[in-house]
Amino acid sequence: MNSFWNGKRRFVALLMFLAGVFVALRVPPVIPFIQLPGENFPEGFNVPFTDIRLTNTFAGSVIVWILLLLFVIYVSRRRPKSGNEVPPGGFYNMFEALFEGLMGFVGGIAAGRHFRLIFNMFMTIFLIVLLANWMELVPGVDTVGFIHPHVKEKYDADSGEYKVITTDGYEIYQGFLGISYVNGQCDWISPADEAAADEAALLEAKAAAAAAEQASIEDAAYARYQAGHGDEAQSTEESDDHGDDGHSAASGQSDAALAAHDEVLAARVAAKQARADRSCYTGVGPVPWADDYVADDKADKKKSIPLHPDPRGEEAKLVPWVVLPFVRVPSTDLNMTLSLALISFVMIQFIGFKALGIGYLTKFFNFGTLFKSPLGGIDVAVGLLELIGDFAKILSFGFRLLGNIFAGSILLFVMSFLVPILPWPFFILEFFVGVIQALVFALLTAIFMNLATVSHHHDDDHDHAEAH
Amino acid sequence: MDPQSTIILGKAIGAGLAMIGAAGGGIGIGLAVGGAVQAMGRNPDHTATIQVNMILGVAFAEAVAIYALVVSLIILFVLS
Repeated sequence: MNSFWNGKRRFVALLMFLAGVFVALRVPPVIPFIQLPGENFPEGFNVPFTDIRLTNTFAGSVIVWILLLLFVIYVSRRRPKSGNEVPPGGFYNMFEALFEGLMGFVGGIAAGRHFRLIFNMFMTIFLIVLLANWMELVPGVDTVGFIHPHVKEKYDADSGEYKVITTDGYEIYQGFLGISYVNGQCDWISPADEAAADEAALLEAKAAAAAAEQASIEDAAYARYQAGHGDEAQSTEESDDHGDDGHSAASGQSDAALAAHDEVLAARVAAKQARADRSCYTGVGPVPWADDYVADDKADKKKSIPLHPDPRGEEAKLVPWVVLPFVRVPSTDLNMTLSLALISFVMIQFIGFKALGIGYLTKFFNFGTLFKSPLGGIDVAVGLLELIGDFAKILSFGFRLLGNIFAGSILLFVMSFLVPILPWPFFILEFFVGVIQALVFALLTAIFMNLATVSHHHDDDHDHAEAH
Repeated sequence: MDPQSTIILGKAIGAGLAMIGAAGGGIGIGLAVGGAVQAMGRNPDHTATIQVNMILGVAFAEAVAIYALVVSLIILFVLS
């Protein structure tokens, strides 16, 4: 080990460091966009025979499964067939040491009849969660992906398809620690709402047209039309200005019918604008952030980012570019952590029934002592609390893993942004956090499974002697 | 004040308030590590066992702070 950094390797390390400095200076670090739910892949990556899109966290978990499968095949093939063979070294040997260590560890917790089942569950969960957690350390995960205009697609339950919701957030506010906010509001509008808004706008326009006929028709119509357009560009104040300009400019030519038509047209534009103002967007991965595109406005503390015409082809709508990663760490998706938690919950109940039979239910519904002992009511209450506690385990398991790993990946984003050259200490930290969280998840499952096999009512013990 | 700034302001204040819960996790981790270090000082032979249990306890105490973090992350990035 001492000779590791001697000779040429030292220069290789130095060159890598210098290359890191060069790249960090040449290509400005990327401001992370942070999104909690897994991002949907673009069209074409559907769940077979459905309209439901796959997510990039699902791609991550598929990679975890494949790695685990290869690992299992490798280990079972390398296993020495007979005792007098020379034991294999290398990776297999390392795994065997890890396996034996964990076996002793779990043996200290759950020695007994159900050790095999508990240990199998422990090891499975440990390996899955460990591989899933360590994915955040792999370069390219969470950073390499589809570059696409920053639009949000939302699944619409009514029509059963994904709708593109445009964004008009063409400015990003640089927030604390490089976590950025997009300028704008967010509100999903259902098609029914849209139709209602259209109709309301039409009615309003007709009423306005009727009113306008009383007064100077052309002027009012033109002013309203201008007001609609002004709204689209900027704020209401500006639109008022536009309206005044229009008023003076519209020294008449058209008749009442034309004015009414203009009226309806303007109302439609205004309604569309009102919808666009309420449109929705979130961050999707890091923004590719090149110097050429950045117009830094120090006074406003905001940066413009590269713009792209709206894919729906609507006028004057610009959206930023973002990256949708091909692969995201699966543990940062609540779906993955909650389903693992559900599996572990089911296994806890399963082993309880396996060990204690139907008597396991007395742990939750303990009416046996209600009329026998003076404190029977307390037993009932305790049983119900246990029931609630068991369901709370699902949430606790799921959110603990999600929170730790998601917070870790944000930490890595932010540190890579602040210190682009040397975020190594945080990668080491996340390495250990990944191990510890995998261990905690698996160990808690093992402990609760072991607890479920133990009958804690002394009166019932003789009924279920086989449990001990 | 325009509505967007109000929303960001509300999110920031809410996320900050949610993170008060992290104080409990900090106290818990401090107590756990303090106790473990005392135990290790008294019987250094059992350092390995104590360390493993300490790390597990720290992870559980940390989980409470992580719940607070999840709430504040949801406020910041999911709530709209």
